Amino acid sequence: MARVKSHRLTIANTRQTIDCGTSQTILEAAIMAGIDYPYACATGNCGTCTSHLDAGTVSLLPRSDASLSQQQAKAGQTLACRARPRSDLTVTWLSRGGG
Amino acid sequence: MTAQEKRNRACKKLLVDVHAITDKEGLTPSALHAIKLKLVALAGKKELFPLADFEMPVAEGRNHPLLVEDNDGHGLYLTIGLPGKEAAPHDHGIWCVNAAIAGRECHKFFRRTDGMTRPGHASVEQIAEVMVEPGTGMAMSDHDIHSTEVLGDEPAVGLALYGYALVRFPSVAWYQPQFGSIRTTPSRRHAAMA
Repeated sequence: MARVKSHRLTIANTRQTIDCGTSQTILEAAIMAGIDYPYACATGNCGTCTSHLDAGTVSLLPRSDASLSQQQAKAGQTLACRARPRSDLTVTWLSRGGG
Repeated sequence: MTAQEKRNRACKKLLVDVHAITDKEGLTPSALHAIKLKLVALAGKKELFPLADFEMPVAEGRNHPLLVEDNDGHGLYLTIGLPGKEAAPHDHGIWCVNAAIAGRECHKFFRRTDGMTRPGHASVEQIAEVMVEPGTGMAMSDHDIHSTEVLGDEPAVGLALYGYALVRFPSVAWYQPQFGSIRTTPSRRHAAMA
C-alpha cells in the first residue's frame, strides 16, 4: 500500500482547502499556498499561530511550554507552526497577531 | 544554608557584579563579554542548580525565573531545552547573555541583508556560530540576531540573563529565511509601567 504523502488541509478562516505534506507544518503549507496565516516565530515559541483543530489529528514538533499550555491543548488548540498532519485537517486560527 | 539560599545569594551577587560592570563601562561589547564570563562562572557551580529543583518542560522548553529585578531591571533565568527545541532567527531588542550548565545549544548569528523597504519582507545571512556548552557562553547586543537549537541527546540546561525581564520584553522581530519574511510579537514594555 502506498504511503500517504499529503493530506487535505482546510483553513476555516479563509474557507480554502489545500494539500499539506506529511513532512510539512500547517503553517508552511498555508504560506506556500499564499494564505496570510498569522505567525511570528514559526518555531513554537510565541503562540501567534495558535489555532483550533476543528477536525483531524496532528503530531507536534518541539515547542516551548509557554507557547501552548496543557489547558489549550486539552481544549483542542494547536500551533500551526509545529503541527504536521496525520489525517485530513480543518483548522481555525485564533488571532491576528504578528506583524 | 540551604541550596536554594546559596543559589539566591549567588544570583544576587551576580547582578551586583553586572551592575558594577555596566555602571563603569556602559553596555559595550567588552562589558557584555565581562558579564558573560561572570555568568559562565556561575553556571559552572552546578551544585547550585540541581535539576531536582526545577521542573522539566511539559513540552520541550521551559524558563524558570531565578531573579527578576524590581524597577524594570534585569531578568535571570534557568532555561531547559530538550533535544530538537529551536528558535528561528530573532532580535530580542534587548541584550542577552547565556551560559551552559549542561548539554549543548547551537547559537547562529545573522545579519539582515535586505534594504528594509518592503514591510513584512526580510532576508538574513549567517555570520557566526557558537556552541554553548559547559564552560562556555554567548553574549549579544540589543539588536543582534540569533537562532538557537538544542543538539545531542541530553537536555540543554543553562542560565540566561536579559536586560529586561521576559514579562517586560520589547517587541521581538522574528526572521523566517524559508519565507523571506519578518514578523514581530507585541511589546510587553507597558508592563514595566504598571
